[in-house]
Amino acid sequence: MEFKKKILANGLAVIGEINKSAKSSAVGFFVKTGSRDETKQINGVSHFLEHMLFKGTEKLSAFEVNEAFDRTGAQFNAFTGEENTVFYAAVLPEYLVEVTRLWTGLMRPALRDEDFNIEKSVIKEEIAMYKDMPSFDVIDRCRSLHFDSHPCGNSVLGSEESISNLTAEQMQGYFMRRYAPNNMAVAFAGNFHWEQICSVVESSCEKWQKQAVSRKLEEVPGSKKKKRVEKSNLVREHICLMSPAVSIQDPRRFAASLLATIIGDDVGSRFFWELVDKALAEAATMQFGPMDGTGVFCSYIRCSSENVSKVLDTVQSIFESLSRSGITEDEMRTAKNKILSALVIKNELPMGRLIDLGANWIYLHQYRTIEDDINAIKAVTIDDIHSLIKQFNPGNFTQLSIGPVKAS
Amino acid sequence: MRGNDKRSAMSEKLDKHILKNGMVILGEPMEAVESVAFGFMLPAGAALLPEGCCGAGTVIADWIFRGAGDKNNRELGDALDGLGLHRASSVGSSHITIGAALEAENIAEAIKLYADIILQASLKEDQFELVRQLAIDGVRALDDAPRQKVMLKLRERFYPSPLGRSTLGEIAELKTLTAEKTKQIIKNNFNLSQTIFAFAGKYDFDAIVSQIKNLFETDQQEPLKSFTLGSKAGKYTHLRNDGAQVHIGLMTETVKPTDENYYNARVAVSVLSGGMSARLFTEVREKRGLCYAVGAQYHGLKEASGIACYAGTTPDKAQETLDCVMAEFNRLADGISKEEIERAKVGLKSALVLQSESSSSRAGGIGSDYYMLGRVRSLDEIKNKIEATSVDSVLGFLRNNKFKDFTVVTIGPKEVHPPSADKS
Repeated sequence: MEFKKKILANGLAVIGEINKSAKSSAVGFFVKTGSRDETKQINGVSHFLEHMLFKGTEKLSAFEVNEAFDRTGAQFNAFTGEENTVFYAAVLPEYLVEVTRLWTGLMRPALRDEDFNIEKSVIKEEIAMYKDMPSFDVIDRCRSLHFDSHPCGNSVLGSEESISNLTAEQMQGYFMRRYAPNNMAVAFAGNFHWEQICSVVESSCEKWQKQAVSRKLEEVPGSKKKKRVEKSNLVREHICLMSPAVSIQDPRRFAASLLATIIGDDVGSRFFWELVDKALAEAATMQFGPMDGTGVFCSYIRCSSENVSKVLDTVQSIFESLSRSGITEDEMRTAKNKILSALVIKNELPMGRLIDLGANWIYLHQYRTIEDDINAIKAVTIDDIHSLIKQFNPGNFTQLSIGPVKAS
Repeated sequence: MRGNDKRSAMSEKLDKHILKNGMVILGEPMEAVESVAFGFMLPAGAALLPEGCCGAGTVIADWIFRGAGDKNNRELGDALDGLGLHRASSVGSSHITIGAALEAENIAEAIKLYADIILQASLKEDQFELVRQLAIDGVRALDDAPRQKVMLKLRERFYPSPLGRSTLGEIAELKTLTAEKTKQIIKNNFNLSQTIFAFAGKYDFDAIVSQIKNLFETDQQEPLKSFTLGSKAGKYTHLRNDGAQVHIGLMTETVKPTDENYYNARVAVSVLSGGMSARLFTEVREKRGLCYAVGAQYHGLKEASGIACYAGTTPDKAQETLDCVMAEFNRLADGISKEEIERAKVGLKSALVLQSESSSSRAGGIGSDYYMLGRVRSLDEIKNKIEATSVDSVLGFLRNNKFKDFTVVTIGPKEVHPPSADKS
């Protein structure tokens, strides 16, 4: 593996990790913008804009864009989160230049009115789709309850209302402010020629204008509110718990990820043995969600309405026991093995490697090898975990549940 | 290290050994990885279960992990987790597959634990009750996941019984399932003579063969009784759910993986729904904005195969969406451009190479090839067969195999009206 980087005069970071033994290459544009960078009025614009990038440029129609990608056999897509919008493609090495040219073109989209209007319907369908996925819906709602009025609680999709009211001009303004070269990185992983690919990016992107762009960072303690939402078509109780955690910049993020694995990995964790193995809940997981300047522990539990109080009592006793007695050597060893092997397996695919590569650059302005991460995980001690538990007390959480209408 | 040359990258090797009892061992070495993925394909899929035991597969796939050999439930779980392995169990129509992906150095230890799980599971009564409860809860939870449910119901109604039987189970049958009955199924269906053990990644084949031989070489076992295919359920089914969308599942028959037209069928499905320039995405989403999620896939079983399509849309657009999707199926045989065929082909070939970098997908691929075809196709063979298709061959295939009967299932607040479909 060989790391390469070049920062263009306008601030665009071009980075790459070359793996000559890979059969494929991956390319990704990481734009540091997401729902937390939106106001209430334009909520959902980051995600809508992500869709609109596929609608083409001054020279290419949406159909031509789709055909051009498909001619290369690329597996390409994009995703929008609270903090980033990422456009990516995994492709055979001989098509990488073509696909990179396409993406660089699309980063300066036409944003045509007629495309905007038809895509609005697609976005509304996506909002409706997630309403029918209570396991996603509950996390979205809980995030908003946890972050209260802080923009980190903004919904990625936006609401039916905010999307209906959004105008093409508002989107254009947001695009101008956020898709600045100094707010982006383009990353490559797998098998590719650095000089060649770098010159493709340079010639296509060097004219982009630098902008003053910022994001306000602060630690958010979370509201710790509790709320239940009823929906007549549901049969199970979907519960989300959220509590504060360290940020993505914090070196303790590795300890936090081990702690989440110990508490809520899908098998072999405390949640698993106390809730799933005993058939109190059919799903119970916890994840560490590191963010820019803040972070969350997020749990998702699904059970029957009858089991809710038993499940929540059990969760409480798990957190109490963690605060009281901490974790065991065995739990630590197992969690490390799980995370290390997941890291190795994920990084065997250029596409898997790309995401870490891009995220490390966006958040840390740093190249980290897989070995750097492996060593950081190995170095975490039980005391590190215990001081995290003490400082963040994951048993003090915001709670949102969605379930069937309760019989009165 | 594997070279940069595409030709050498595609010419992978297959390791194969068959035990005296007929159990098949298949391995595909991958030079660029440190991991290995494996799966034991046990002939205990939903279609092979006795009548009245729908869901027993889910129960078995959980129960056998709750203590085996000299380890109780907790000790076994801790031993598996301690190896850092990522478990992957699935219940399909033909097999229960239990396996994992892990770092290569731990494979021998993992195989030892899996041998206990397959051959010496403790099968404790108290654990059975918990497992059965979880299986019932899993079926109930499906009501909150209409998108998954519609595809499960679709396969159930499309395939002649018992091929499409729900792999999750039926609540009524799970309620009457007993530990005794389930033990009997395990005894009958964990038939080593019909088991395939497939793995891919970094490994020492001789070492694995000798370990598997020691653990699994029994006498030849009697083959399982084959089932007879029954009838298909009705053509249209609607299940009421007052959610936000109508979830539409639609399926129609096509050729099986063993058929000479298999690759023509795969290319045809790819023209319909391979990429974002394919017909369904273009017509349903890009031009009309009817859906966010729409797509069709080839779904192949050994005995029967189909093309399964999903579309989710808000109630007022449901009928137009169904009409539009069906129109795309029906007009496919009218004509396909050379460019469309080329895009479909390059998409299929590229997906093949991208998947070949993952040890888990290769282990799954070689196992299912062996079951379906009795041999493992090389990536070159697949690539050449895709390459050999053309506008004429695909259109010829479509014209001789017109899409006839569509099975349609909808879940949501509003029914649709498929053309000339009888409601069941």
